[in-house]
Amino acid sequence: MNPILTDIYSTVIPSAPFIIAAYAIVWVVLLVYVVMVVRGLKKTEAQMALLEEAIAKKSRD
Amino acid sequence: MAQRKVNVPEAGQWPDKLAVPALAAGAALTTAGFLMAFLFAAPVNGAALDAPELVGGVMVSHQQLLSQKIFYFHMPVAIVSFIALAFGAYYGVRFLTTREQRFDTCSRVAMEIALLFVVFTMITGDLWTRFEWGVWWTWEPRLTTYLILMLIVIAYFVMRNAVDDPERRATYASVISVIALVDVPICFMITRLIPSSVHPVITREGGMAPDMAATVVVIMLGMMLVGYGLYRLRFREARLAERVQALKEQMED
Amino acid sequence: MGRPSTFTQYKTLLAKDIRQEFRTREMLTSMGIYALLVIIVYGAALALTANGIDVMKMGGGLLWVLIVFTSLLGLGRSFAHEKEQGCMEGILLVPLDRSVVFLAKATANILFMLAVEVIAVPLFYFFFMSGEPVAPTFLAIVAPLVVGTVGMAGIGTMLSTITMNTRSRDVMLAVLFIPLIYPLLYACVTATTAAIAGTEFWMDFFVMPLVLACGYDVVMLLVCWVLYDFVVGA
Repeated sequence: MNPILTDIYSTVIPSAPFIIAAYAIVWVVLLVYVVMVVRGLKKTEAQMALLEEAIAKKSRD
Repeated sequence: MAQRKVNVPEAGQWPDKLAVPALAAGAALTTAGFLMAFLFAAPVNGAALDAPELVGGVMVSHQQLLSQKIFYFHMPVAIVSFIALAFGAYYGVRFLTTREQRFDTCSRVAMEIALLFVVFTMITGDLWTRFEWGVWWTWEPRLTTYLILMLIVIAYFVMRNAVDDPERRATYASVISVIALVDVPICFMITRLIPSSVHPVITREGGMAPDMAATVVVIMLGMMLVGYGLYRLRFREARLAERVQALKEQMED
Repeated sequence: MGRPSTFTQYKTLLAKDIRQEFRTREMLTSMGIYALLVIIVYGAALALTANGIDVMKMGGGLLWVLIVFTSLLGLGRSFAHEKEQGCMEGILLVPLDRSVVFLAKATANILFMLAVEVIAVPLFYFFFMSGEPVAPTFLAIVAPLVVGTVGMAGIGTMLSTITMNTRSRDVMLAVLFIPLIYPLLYACVTATTAAIAGTEFWMDFFVMPLVLACGYDVVMLLVCWVLYDFVVGA
């Protein structure tokens, strides 16, 4: 086989875990961040709704 | 200060409608780029060989190993982190000139996005370093200055937590965000300033082949859109939290 | 009687700091003793492992560790009595340009740090380097020392003004100070090590880092000088 191809192929297996890990970790961190932001948003929206209700009740009294 | 009408950024306007499409487009583009990196960009294209050779029916004068695929994400996220830092500093300056708390919120959110992308750069870069150089860390100039950048961004948030008064916190945070920006050009230029640096530089490696460049551009655009979408999303949350806080204070009065 | 000129204001503020220091000798003694203690710790750390030649090679770095931590101590104190005695409010009530306050304070810090270095560097030489032949270029370390001190004092003055009003301010100062001076530190250590080694091509490793350090000094001092107005008024 072509020596350059051999050289390239010889690094595929040992380097694969690092490449997979690099992409996977970035993806997971991004996902976690998005989930965190969306959860925060939902929580704050719920709080907002509660507050609005409380204010409406207060103004009715 | 003159009471001039300042246009402050607000959540819930037209940019927010773009946030989710931007995120989706960013996700699509980065996925496309990811596939391009492995399927479209040539595996043999990069570091120079002694003499051109015929590989798989193509004459090649360069070879690149599989580990080079990390580059396709590494460089775009690094660029996006610089852009986010620039926005953080820009909003910091806007805060200092207008004293409008909203700009501090913008600056904080931009810095948070910057931190996220700095972490991405560190992760991808470090895994490449581990394989290619065989070490988890080396005190190479580019790595070092980038680590310093990360520490400054972390220090920014540590500092925010240590100040109670909002006005004062915003001022100090803006000042730090501006100072942090000074490190960006250093980090960018360091591989040119210190030629002994072993960090790969595209221009030094003979530029990018069109297929590489296309892949990088697609991922770069995708990452920018992701960054923008996240910024808007996070900004909306921050604004909502501020309004909840204001309402709570009103209720207590 | 007109308003005193900017230079007079600067001189007055600087004289105030120096007079206070001469009266209490608080900063110089604490920094000097701290420097000596760091040298003693070095003595323990290097006692068995390193011989003279190794220490000559590491000398530049060790010297700068000493300077960084000593100045961190000094900078943390530099606004302490202003705050404790409400002196800062008094200064800010005077209608003067805030950047004058920055320049005066930074100059005072430069002077204190240089004074400590004048004691600490000979001590370092005495304890660790006197056994080895000294390169003829040794005295060139003065240049990186001065350039580094100016930058560190400028950045440090700014940061200690910020951290003066934060919780756990000593830690906060270190957290902000060390990353921000890092490029300067790196350049100065390179230049100092080159000067101590004094090999044939020492100029290659001396001039370029020194130029970069000067550039960083200029940029940082300008940024700090411009932003100080906002920081001190908050």
